[in-house]
Amino acid sequence: MADEFDRFLSSALAPEEREADRAFVARVQAAVALDAAFHAERRAALRTAAIQTVALFAVAAGLVLLGRAAPVADFFAESPAVVLAALLSGFGLLVILFGSQSSHTSAGQMFSASHFNDLARLRS
Amino acid sequence: MTAANDEDLALSRRAAGGDTVAFAMLVEKHERPLRAFLTRTFGSDAADDIAQDAFLKAWKAAGQYDGRARYSTWLTRIAWRCRLDSPRRHRAELADEPPSESGAGLSAEIGDMLARLTEAERASLVLCEGHGWTHVEAADLLGLPLGTLKSTVARAKAKCRQMWEGADHG
Repeated sequence: MADEFDRFLSSALAPEEREADRAFVARVQAAVALDAAFHAERRAALRTAAIQTVALFAVAAGLVLLGRAAPVADFFAESPAVVLAALLSGFGLLVILFGSQSSHTSAGQMFSASHFNDLARLRS
Repeated sequence: MTAANDEDLALSRRAAGGDTVAFAMLVEKHERPLRAFLTRTFGSDAADDIAQDAFLKAWKAAGQYDGRARYSTWLTRIAWRCRLDSPRRHRAELADEPPSESGAGLSAEIGDMLARLTEAERASLVLCEGHGWTHVEAADLLGLPLGTLKSTVARAKAKCRQMWEGADHG
């Protein structure tokens, strides 16, 4: 049979009766929204990187096939300067492509850092 | 499965599909007991951070809740793991500090009693005596054998009774 101490203990340890804490619920909702935005941003960055990689391989494969065609191969054999110009153009294209990729990555990193800062701010 | 479990399962499935309103309803429903448990066990300073982490993880893992256990049990398990992973825990252990109960809405008397128990004793006592958990549920959460859990609760209760009687209640 429960004595006075048992009754004291169970009432003191039971969760207090109160309405839901709206401020806490709002903090959790903000953290959830931030997390969802972070993951959407990361998915978009990964999709962009995948599309760029596929495009790069497609262009490279096209150039290889083109270069193997007899008239083009003969032309390149006769004009090495054109080959050099084509290689330099290709290299320039790669620089532009990877430059834009790294700027995407930097933006992602900045978003990631601000994501964690925002989460820390939500807690305080 | 109870009606409450059915309702929580339905909300959790909606949350898994990206419904933030459904998840907010789960937070509204379960924040009070979860934060009460965390406050009494770890102190008010750590409780809200752990609760927020736990809800965020519950949101990410919403699809994994299958309704077999109560949602509150599943959520408290996540919160307990958050605590185990928390860097704050390591700092507190290094400092060997009891949780601060100030401002936690606890009476000074129960706050003093809990501060003199170990973390496992506090958690066992709060869950079994205050939140109506079965010994099996609490043992599962704390990763203790059932017999150990029962003796932990009994020891914690005996310590509290001694303090209570020592304060001229007996």
